[in-house]
Amino acid sequence: MEAFKHLIDTLSKPTILVSFTFIIFFFVFPPTDWFEKWHKKLKFDGLWSVKSFWIITALLVGFFVTGLSDPDFRSIMLKPDNVPIAGLIFLVFFFTWLSMHQAYNNDKLIDAGKPVDEQYDAPNDKVLVWPDLVYIELITIILFSAFMLVWSIGLPAPLEEPANPSESPNPAKAPWYFLGLQEMLVYFDPWMAGVVLPSLIIVGLMAIPYLDNNKEGSGYYSFKNRKLSIAIFMFGWLVLWNLLIVIGTVLRGPNWNFFGPFEFWDSHKIEALTNINLSEFVYVKWLSTGLPGNILIREIWGMILLLGYFMILPPLLAKTWLKNLFERLGVARYSLFIVLILAALTLPIKMYLRWMFNLKYIISIPEYFFNF
Amino acid sequence: MPEAKEKKSVTVPPASPPPAALGKIDEGSQVSRRSFFSWLSIGWIAFVAATGGFFTMMLRFFFPNVLFEPVQTFRAGYPEDYQAGEVDLRWKGKYGTWIVRDGEGIYALSTVCTHLGCTPNWLAAEQKFKCPCHGSGFRKTGINFEGPAPRPLERFRIVLADDGQIIVDKTKKFQQEKGQWGDPEAFLKV
Amino acid sequence: MSEKKGLLKRLAEGQVWTSIFRGGGVPKSRRQRMMVVLNSVFLHLHPVRLPKHAVKLKFTWCMGGLSFFLFLILTISGILLMFYYRPTIEYAYTDIIDLAEQVPFGIMREIHRWGAHAMVITVWLHMFRVFMTGSYKPPREFNWAIGVILLLLTLLLSFTGYLLPWDQLAIWAITVGSNMARATPFIGSEGPGAALLAIGDINFVTMASDIRFALIGGRFLGEATLLRFYVLHCIGLPFIIMIFMAVHFWRIRKDGGISTPV
Repeated sequence: MEAFKHLIDTLSKPTILVSFTFIIFFFVFPPTDWFEKWHKKLKFDGLWSVKSFWIITALLVGFFVTGLSDPDFRSIMLKPDNVPIAGLIFLVFFFTWLSMHQAYNNDKLIDAGKPVDEQYDAPNDKVLVWPDLVYIELITIILFSAFMLVWSIGLPAPLEEPANPSESPNPAKAPWYFLGLQEMLVYFDPWMAGVVLPSLIIVGLMAIPYLDNNKEGSGYYSFKNRKLSIAIFMFGWLVLWNLLIVIGTVLRGPNWNFFGPFEFWDSHKIEALTNINLSEFVYVKWLSTGLPGNILIREIWGMILLLGYFMILPPLLAKTWLKNLFERLGVARYSLFIVLILAALTLPIKMYLRWMFNLKYIISIPEYFFNF
Repeated sequence: MPEAKEKKSVTVPPASPPPAALGKIDEGSQVSRRSFFSWLSIGWIAFVAATGGFFTMMLRFFFPNVLFEPVQTFRAGYPEDYQAGEVDLRWKGKYGTWIVRDGEGIYALSTVCTHLGCTPNWLAAEQKFKCPCHGSGFRKTGINFEGPAPRPLERFRIVLADDGQIIVDKTKKFQQEKGQWGDPEAFLKV
Repeated sequence: MSEKKGLLKRLAEGQVWTSIFRGGGVPKSRRQRMMVVLNSVFLHLHPVRLPKHAVKLKFTWCMGGLSFFLFLILTISGILLMFYYRPTIEYAYTDIIDLAEQVPFGIMREIHRWGAHAMVITVWLHMFRVFMTGSYKPPREFNWAIGVILLLLTLLLSFTGYLLPWDQLAIWAITVGSNMARATPFIGSEGPGAALLAIGDINFVTMASDIRFALIGGRFLGEATLLRFYVLHCIGLPFIIMIFMAVHFWRIRKDGGISTPV
């Protein structure tokens, strides 16, 4: 048991956990044919069968049940405000499975030249709203109300100590659905993590229908014909949003240090987090000259990097690796698409730079509140 | 279709107005149309300006002229009350200030983390301020050295009153990255 | 048969009943059932007939409907909470305690709180379902965008509600949240570019004139903050979200109802 807990704690180290997720993710949701080949070779397509569903559910339930015997894990999971997270983990898995299960079924039907599951013969196959739909709605409402009542009676709403402006709780966590944002705040300056990136998330979500000009797969579950869009969405939704929430809930402890799920929250745990900016790497570590006084000269390297990332990389990719995509999307769609994707990728890039090299900011001009 | 054929057979040039209206409008029509458009544009400009003005008013509504805020200046006792090398926590709760005395003098640090405004804790064992929200760390001087905080803690104006007591004035702030810590009022020599 | 009618039957054919429910009696025929939906202002939200997969839970997950239902639960429980809660620093915290201990059936706050958590989840899952069925594709692009705004408003509603108990959780969540606003480029006093909007030594974007000030009604969290968030939470944002919801539902019908394979 202790060995198991220790193993989980070790695997929960952010570098291991996130690297593992990144590597395995695109084999589970293959965006291209090459990945799909491996997806099949590695038998990941069996993940969406009924049998796998029960196995994974059993594993999840088993993990939670055995985990709850541990006092540290219990204190995290049974904190009233974290209960929705436990629910979310199961719900997200269940609905991911449900949609992919139906998508794979439909893919098989399409391959066999048969109509998809949702295909219907209008107008003969229509059903009446009264009574077919209203009864379902009524039953759903009754069951859901009962569920809400039981939940509300069983679990009192949390209320902490009265507000005290001079004493921040340790750790001070945002509402769970914002923990992904709070995690971003560790790696980015607030104007990026709190304003620019959330705005880009909203803009990016709204832009999806205008960027995805693939006509296939409208009105039914499918995967084969829209691999790329589903893989990208899943990456944003499962990894950059839900995984970060789980990390923020379970793995972040006092002083915002990383802790394993079964590790005691020791508020005196010391971690060397002395962070340095890129300019300090260049001038102090490599050139050993000391930081130049001129801001522009000091930060020129970061600016070159950033400009290269957003200005040179997109056309380069359009010419090489993303050639087909560029031709399919056209200049306007491709430009918006690639800027959004690159902006989203700055998050994992900065996470790694922080974990591996303690890099703080690529551009750091605190004089003008401009840090990146 | 029959209507279209009929129209073709009529030889009246399409641009000319109907005969009945000719006598009345013809003379002034060019002028009045032109003046009509200029009136229209004036009308639109006035409308946009009025709407803009109204929304500005609504925005300004959110910034009241008088603020009811706690007192920003306080007396913090005599310099002898503070021991060299220690971070004094007694004004943290009431005034959001740490008073630190080092070998040369006394300075007043703001307890507001420069990252997102949480209150860091003074960890005496590790000789650092550690913010519980996102893990920023500051040295005793207020210099940031770990975590996401972009700049050092702010210092408040600190002077001696006539009776020898320390006065901390939170309305005047000194920021290290702007080179203001050298200001004589940012530091009380004792 | 016609001589001896039961009480219910007589009621159902009487003037009162038929004046309220047009169509006469229990809707049995296809025509009567269609008229039920057409004649009701509430059921008219639905079309009369649907594709058969539109009533399958496996396809719809019922998440959009549940989100709307939760919005109704939250509106009702929220109005009930307003009868007891006073948005001042002096009373807010104790009123919350009273809501659990002094008010009969003191679970209204629980329903409101857990309902809010549940609504965040159902809205996410609704978006997830709509994505996975490709239902954002033409002609439904715009309605997807409206849906994203509804998601944002749901999160903002939940966030503004977080402050109201005025406990430790509340003020630190709002401290962090409002300080993020301070970092907004140009209109936040610690945002990039704010220092450029100055003439000589006079800054135009300061702690007392930036976006954070407008949000919390002062330079520091206080009485004004609680009141502003209370008004936003109870009146401002619900008003906005209802407008967007109306557009969202209207557009579902106008864009051809639930998405179907072509």
